[in-house]
Amino acid sequence: MALLEIRAVAKRFGGLRAVDGVDVDVAEGELLGLIGPNGSGKTTLLNVLSGHMVADAGQVRLDGRSVLGLGPTALTRLGVLRMFQLTRVFNRVSAFDNLIVCGLALGLDQGRAEQRALDLLGELKLTHVMHLDGGQLSGGQKKLLEFGTCFMVPPRIALLDEPFAAVHPTMKETMATFIRRRSADGQTFILVSHDMPVVVELCPRAVCMNAGKVLADGPTQRVLNDAAVIEAYLGEDAQAAEAEHGRA
Amino acid sequence: MTTPRHPNFLASKLAQEMRLALVVLAVLALVPVAVSSPYWLGVLIVSMYFAMLSMGWNLLAGYTGQFSLAPAAFAMLGGYTTALLAWHWKVPLWIGLPMALVVPGLIGLVLGRIVLRLSGPYVALTTLSFAEIVRLVIYNSIDFTRGDQGLNVPALIDSRVGNYYLFVGALTVITVGVFLLLRAPTGRFLLAIRDDEIGAASRGIDVVRAKTVAFFISCAICGIAGGLYGTFAQLVSPELGLIAQTGIVIAMVVIGGMGTLVGPLIGAVLVYVASELLRDAGNVQMIVFALLVIVFARFFREGLWGLARQAIARRRSATRTAASGV
Repeated sequence: MALLEIRAVAKRFGGLRAVDGVDVDVAEGELLGLIGPNGSGKTTLLNVLSGHMVADAGQVRLDGRSVLGLGPTALTRLGVLRMFQLTRVFNRVSAFDNLIVCGLALGLDQGRAEQRALDLLGELKLTHVMHLDGGQLSGGQKKLLEFGTCFMVPPRIALLDEPFAAVHPTMKETMATFIRRRSADGQTFILVSHDMPVVVELCPRAVCMNAGKVLADGPTQRVLNDAAVIEAYLGEDAQAAEAEHGRA
Repeated sequence: MTTPRHPNFLASKLAQEMRLALVVLAVLALVPVAVSSPYWLGVLIVSMYFAMLSMGWNLLAGYTGQFSLAPAAFAMLGGYTTALLAWHWKVPLWIGLPMALVVPGLIGLVLGRIVLRLSGPYVALTTLSFAEIVRLVIYNSIDFTRGDQGLNVPALIDSRVGNYYLFVGALTVITVGVFLLLRAPTGRFLLAIRDDEIGAASRGIDVVRAKTVAFFISCAICGIAGGLYGTFAQLVSPELGLIAQTGIVIAMVVIGGMGTLVGPLIGAVLVYVASELLRDAGNVQMIVFALLVIVFARFFREGLWGLARQAIARRRSATRTAASGV
């Protein structure tokens, strides 16, 4: 049985079908890359999975239990942790306290939350800025901090929406190393990213979405070579040009 | 594991503010030793009433980000709870005063539920409407509340000094209670909700529960302040709930330091005492305070306490530099 089962999930905004009958299974310990052009429905699907939007149709099961319709707090407590595309940190409390509040919310006591926060700050190379308020951190540091808050208590599944966007390469590598380590330990991830080299390197399997539908699902390299995926990313002209180039 | 320390960590900040708050309360407790004027003791009693309202409002607006415009209305509700129980049913104050805490708290809980899905200006508008409705209902229910004539309330303590220490004691209990709440996980959840409600829910914080707790406690604090004020003044009237009273509370918190533990204490005492000193200037005093609110909101977000904290930090830094011989 898959850890997360997504069945025929649909979400419309007026006449726009943002997510249109998506079926995906995510196995325990899997690191799944969710890719697709802008506006393909990736973030909307993540919003449904994290409880920030209610699907119009379909079913989502976590550990075999239906979780569709649960709110973000309930889903977080079930172990569905979400990192947002637009960074969300608590701006007027220190980085250290940002982590502690997340640990306390998930049931850690003060001592364990502090220990866990210190470990994460060390692993994410943020110890030197732990006293600064969230709002005083750089964009990359905020991303790292928000990333860290997802792991105060090991989640059942981490939904990472563009964690590497606008992040310095050094910090990107810190995050990638963290993901590799946790993945090796059996942590389950869904990683939304436009950074294809990183997706290829980290994710054994990828799902490509376009216009709200799943376009391709399989080993990452095979998905990226899929003609429909190339067309979705580059358009029909590129394919025609490629065919022309081949003939020449 | 040793807990890491830094002045900017919440635990350290709160401990530092609590120490200063205790110093302010100790100074207040010593005032009757040097000041025997019943007039000035009365001024300080009223300033402590405003300090309680400021503590209650700051918990909601400064720490939870819920900009309520009803603290004075809840004080009025507390005052009228005690007064109506005593006037109509001869309920003794030892029951009437705790009810001034419970009834406004429960009404605040309901109001909190109503504004739960609202934010920013909508919370302000809803609570303002509520405050005016409650005041007008009390004002117009002449048969029950005697309207603008107000209701007489029996005194709890007859002596001015006795009342003074009653207010010092109540303010101390409220300050310590708010400190303990903020130090507990719920306090941290309130700060997270203030900074980012969606982010807080996405980290497992029960936003509904935390906001409800904040509304209940804030309104209960304002309620008991109103109840105590009624027993001191021996009269409650709809004027207690005027929106201008809420304006004074906001000015006190903004000038003292919004979102800080000690700011409302400092702000309430300084603003109220200053307003008494400027009484002869008439309405000019309100213009001065309004201008101060604009200046502090624009340039000094953490108010007088924020300025003091920056000065302390600069002094510590200078001391360290001197000690290192650089």
